[in-house]
Amino acid sequence: MGAVCVDEVSKDCAARAEQRTGHRASQSNLLGVFSAELGRLKRIAAGMGLSSADCEDVLQDVSVQALKRAAEFQSRADCLRWLTTVTVNRCLMEHRRQRTFRRRAPEILRRRSAAETHPKPIEEWAIAAEELEIVRETLRQLDGHLLAPMVLSYFCELDSRGIAEILNLNQSTVRGRLREARMILARRLTQRGVEP
Amino acid sequence: MSDRSCEEIAGLLVDYADGQLSPEDSGKVAEHLAGCAACRAIVKGLHKSLELSNIIWQDNLEQAQNLPIPIAQTAAKRHWAGYAAVAAAILVFVTASVVRYLVRGPGEHGPSLAEIERRVIDEGTAAKLLAAAELLAGKSYANGLVKSQYRYIVDNYPHTQAAAKVKTLIQGDT
Ligand SMILES: [Zn+2]
Repeated sequence: MGAVCVDEVSKDCAARAEQRTGHRASQSNLLGVFSAELGRLKRIAAGMGLSSADCEDVLQDVSVQALKRAAEFQSRADCLRWLTTVTVNRCLMEHRRQRTFRRRAPEILRRRSAAETHPKPIEEWAIAAEELEIVRETLRQLDGHLLAPMVLSYFCELDSRGIAEILNLNQSTVRGRLREARMILARRLTQRGVEP
Repeated sequence: MSDRSCEEIAGLLVDYADGQLSPEDSGKVAEHLAGCAACRAIVKGLHKSLELSNIIWQDNLEQAQNLPIPIAQTAAKRHWAGYAAVAAAILVFVTASVVRYLVRGPGEHGPSLAEIERRVIDEGTAAKLLAAAELLAGKSYANGLVKSQYRYIVDNYPHTQAAAKVKTLIQGDT
């Protein structure tokens, strides 16, 4: 039996069992959704600036919360929205506690230049480090209500409708916050005397 | 260029930089930018800051991916194992039932097709519940949940292979 076939059998069984028994199978389905979506959730947490250890803690918390609420979800889409919202909210808590974007620019650049075949000349490296540090510092100080839509839009590539659903906002508020966040970053970079 | 016209154009700059404006609005912004160095600098800043943000986000993601998340790692490893367990449980039950059905013929004390269907569904559900519990087994924070999941399987699907496996797991623990 091929992999796809096994998957189909399993999905079909779960769906039919759910029809027959209500939410009996939803607990296992929820964990299935969680593990399938883990990459996306990890991307959100990384974009929100969590360290890898905090990212691990947050996603463990979310998985345990998900198990406890398993019976409440009507559909996979419901469940996905819930997982994303809870992950974003947990990341915002870490951001408020100033536990995000703690890795400084030189460290990021050192890692990048180690991977490059033609490393930058020293002056270029210094300018890049200064610019990167301004942006890192600005992201770190950005209010959570601006950071979350920024990450969801530009790093996780969600549209404003998807972001609005996750953050429980209307779409025009999301677009307004995106513009505000982008302008803060751009102005900080131009005001601090670095030629963009 | 006057500050007033800069203020008017400022609300459009992000959408302009992202290529989200209508051709008409985009033309209006381009016209302003041609004569305004300050707004040109902001547009450059919009592009540059997004590029640098992406470097920071990507670096953070690469770091996060280097560190294993217990559930994630277990889930990835056991994902197909879970499905395979479901398929194996169903296969064993269906084969045994169909052989019995063919040997005895319908209505001769063998299970009805409806009964076979019900048992197949139960085998599949119980195996999935067990696979889910196994994802969390061994994590101290989830001990209670795993135990209640085991109890649930034994109580609700007592005749399945998953329930039999749970019983041996529980006996092994005691
Ligand atoms: Zn201007």
